[in-house]
Amino acid sequence: MTTQTITRMQAAGPPRRLSRFGQWADRHFKWLLVAPAVLLILALSIYPLLFSLVVSFINYDFQVPGHAFVGLKNFERVVFDPVARWSLFLTAWLSAISVAIEFVLGLLVALTMVKSFPGRGVIMSILIVPLFISPVIVGQAWTLLLQRPFGPTNYLLTQLLGQEVTIGWMTERPWLYISLIVADVWQWTPFMFVILLAGLTAIPPNLYEAAELDGVSAWQAFWAITLPHLAPMMLLALTFRLLDAIRMFDTIFIMTGGGPGTQTYTASYYLYTVGFTQFHLSQATAGSWLFLIFTAFVVTLLVRRLLKTEPV
Amino acid sequence: MNDSERRDFQAGLESEVDAFLKGESTRRTFITRFGQMTGMLAVSGPVLGMMTDWAVAQQKLELADPASPLGQAQALALKASTEGPADGSAFRATKAAKQFPGVTINMTSEAGLQALDPRNFSGPMWEQLTGTKMNVVELSNPDQYSKAVAEHIAGSRAYDVLDISPAWTPSLADGGVIAPLDEFITKYMNMKDFEDFHPLYKALPTYKGKIWGFFDDGDIFALYYRKDIFEDPKMMEAYQAKFNGKLEAPKTWAEYNQIAQFITDQMAPKTYGAGHFRKAGSPGNQFDFLQQFRANGGKLFGDDMKAGLVSDAGVATLTSMVASNAASIPGNNELDAVSLWAAFLTGKVAMIYSWPPTGRMAGNYSQSATAINFIPQSQIAGKVGYAVVPGNPEHAVGYNKALAADSANLEASYLFMQWVTSPEVSLARVMLPYALRDPYRISHYKSDLYGGLFPGAKEYLINLNNSANVGLLDPIMPGAQDYFLSLDRMCTAVWAGADPKASLETAATEWNETTDRLGVESQKAFYTEFLKLPGATAENTVEKLGLAVKL
Repeated sequence: MTTQTITRMQAAGPPRRLSRFGQWADRHFKWLLVAPAVLLILALSIYPLLFSLVVSFINYDFQVPGHAFVGLKNFERVVFDPVARWSLFLTAWLSAISVAIEFVLGLLVALTMVKSFPGRGVIMSILIVPLFISPVIVGQAWTLLLQRPFGPTNYLLTQLLGQEVTIGWMTERPWLYISLIVADVWQWTPFMFVILLAGLTAIPPNLYEAAELDGVSAWQAFWAITLPHLAPMMLLALTFRLLDAIRMFDTIFIMTGGGPGTQTYTASYYLYTVGFTQFHLSQATAGSWLFLIFTAFVVTLLVRRLLKTEPV
Repeated sequence: MNDSERRDFQAGLESEVDAFLKGESTRRTFITRFGQMTGMLAVSGPVLGMMTDWAVAQQKLELADPASPLGQAQALALKASTEGPADGSAFRATKAAKQFPGVTINMTSEAGLQALDPRNFSGPMWEQLTGTKMNVVELSNPDQYSKAVAEHIAGSRAYDVLDISPAWTPSLADGGVIAPLDEFITKYMNMKDFEDFHPLYKALPTYKGKIWGFFDDGDIFALYYRKDIFEDPKMMEAYQAKFNGKLEAPKTWAEYNQIAQFITDQMAPKTYGAGHFRKAGSPGNQFDFLQQFRANGGKLFGDDMKAGLVSDAGVATLTSMVASNAASIPGNNELDAVSLWAAFLTGKVAMIYSWPPTGRMAGNYSQSATAINFIPQSQIAGKVGYAVVPGNPEHAVGYNKALAADSANLEASYLFMQWVTSPEVSLARVMLPYALRDPYRISHYKSDLYGGLFPGAKEYLINLNNSANVGLLDPIMPGAQDYFLSLDRMCTAVWAGADPKASLETAATEWNETTDRLGVESQKAFYTEFLKLPGATAENTVEKLGLAVKL
């Protein structure tokens, strides 16, 4: 303690005596601070979660009166519903393909943008714009581009290829999947790019300088320096993006409406349809729990891998 | 205190004292500021609430130019409410509602265009006439039912008047969500006004012998076609030469497909023969299938309540619909109702069948409202003919105004329902340019004022009436949305190349699962009730029952 501090303390006089409440508040201050947040979490997360667990074991259907206990019936309905199984498969398939493409494109763009060049700031700003657009708007925009007879895509392809193109981008296989993937990739590649760019800029430049002095080629430098240093960020980006991708709903809702048939039902779209088109809320809730368990399994694997990753 | 403790104490004291002297936040100032912030949040809630209430409050009554047909209809609605005739339902309701000044009626409405009428016209007018406060609660389509049921379960008394699809009447009536109107009707309504509902719609809110609402939206499908193309001498001549018949509005689905293909062959890519809203999730598939299937003699359910989809009628219907698609504009299977309107209004399509706003849009009347200006201006105004859909047209959805059983103001709410659906007031409402409510009373179809809205409006009204005479109702029973969803999936799967018979079988399996889930006997009882309604099948249309309205 400095002399100056002591002088100031003397000038300020003795500290005021705390009241009984003040003393109690002082002792439990940390708990008082976290209490509002805890109460909010309990009210807004834990209670609904527990309630949804209850709902998944009872009848909660707007067309069937009463809330009788039905055991595992709601889960059984989901498990034995071929549409549910298909939607889960499609979710995994679409997410994997979309995220893989977004990762590769994001990495390429990040590698391109890591070095400074004129106009880099403007290009980066333009590149990340899709991130700020609502997925519903993205779906609508791509619908306007692809939907026949008004969308210009087939016309442009016809002009480019010199022969008439009549693709049903949102009604014919495999084009409808390609359309959905393209829309997703367009919106979310910038996410990968931003995360990977942050990882790239964090790699110490002296490593590359040393490698250059040793006569290491660019490709070798990528394999030996960039990739190992970027690996944790890659896994982070993949984890975050995959978690988001498996919830794919908005673009499907707008672009294909789940069709034709049930060909573009993802898990989220399936649950929405069961819950809010058919009003079988307990079945939708049971399905949500099953989906949560599936998601938790994937997340646990990824997070474990993420935690194990050590910087080189 | 040992040395170590002393060091820790001094270090802690030093940092605390330094922070105090520097004016940094202490726990006390933190708590004070936190309390201030919490208080501000607590105050801001009601303030924001008041601002929101102000923003979504009832608009001022919007009235049209008094010289226009709409302006005259609105003046008549006001006159009927204030001056009578004294035995008119509008007058009686207005007079009786003055017993309830200051009462607030919470009315649900589908969000968006549907809510404009109660916000801009009928709501403010009722407020002005009676002193009752109108609160329009805009909900998305699924929420119109889920919220109504949820609020009923919670006993919150959140709603007084519910806008519901007739298909929901049995579920909501049996669930105690809506109340029967019979007592109030006896007390307040002029039964002559009740008889003014077109027979297809009059019985529609009836379930188990009671009346559970007032019908409020004549959503009958009708055929709209390009008269100029059908009356073009060259086209007529070519058609005569090819098919040895007259080019005129089709009366059968085979004719429809033939004409559609003929026009496409003759005029594409400028104009195609037909267009349909076939996008997945767009309700065009289910409605079209239901109307053609039943017109082809199909039965929805057998005596054992097994789905009757897998039948010759089912295969014939899907085959015909596939042929229609092939004769239609490219991208037909990707169109929703609005895109189809755009294609028709811009002259790309020669025939469509759809909801009644099609006629008003084709006449460029709807587009006079800014709310509807997302629809392109009609390039075919004055060139549109109206006809009944081949076979039997579908009455696709519609709306009932139903009384929430939990309402704290049952009588006041009922009176609003009676007034808003009364002949004079409902006429003014279905004439609003932005209206999605379509004519449903005989007096609407006969109205000279409506007939003066746009060139051809009289023929349009006559055709809506004629369509209702032979119209078919959507199934009105629990599980309707499940049955509809299966049809939509089935149709779109077929459009994508699936085998029609296999798709019918899949849909039938889903229908049977739905029936089993809801109880076979219970569903059978609901279906039996439904079959009693005029228009439930092609064999008991209004016309076949001898109830047809001739204008």
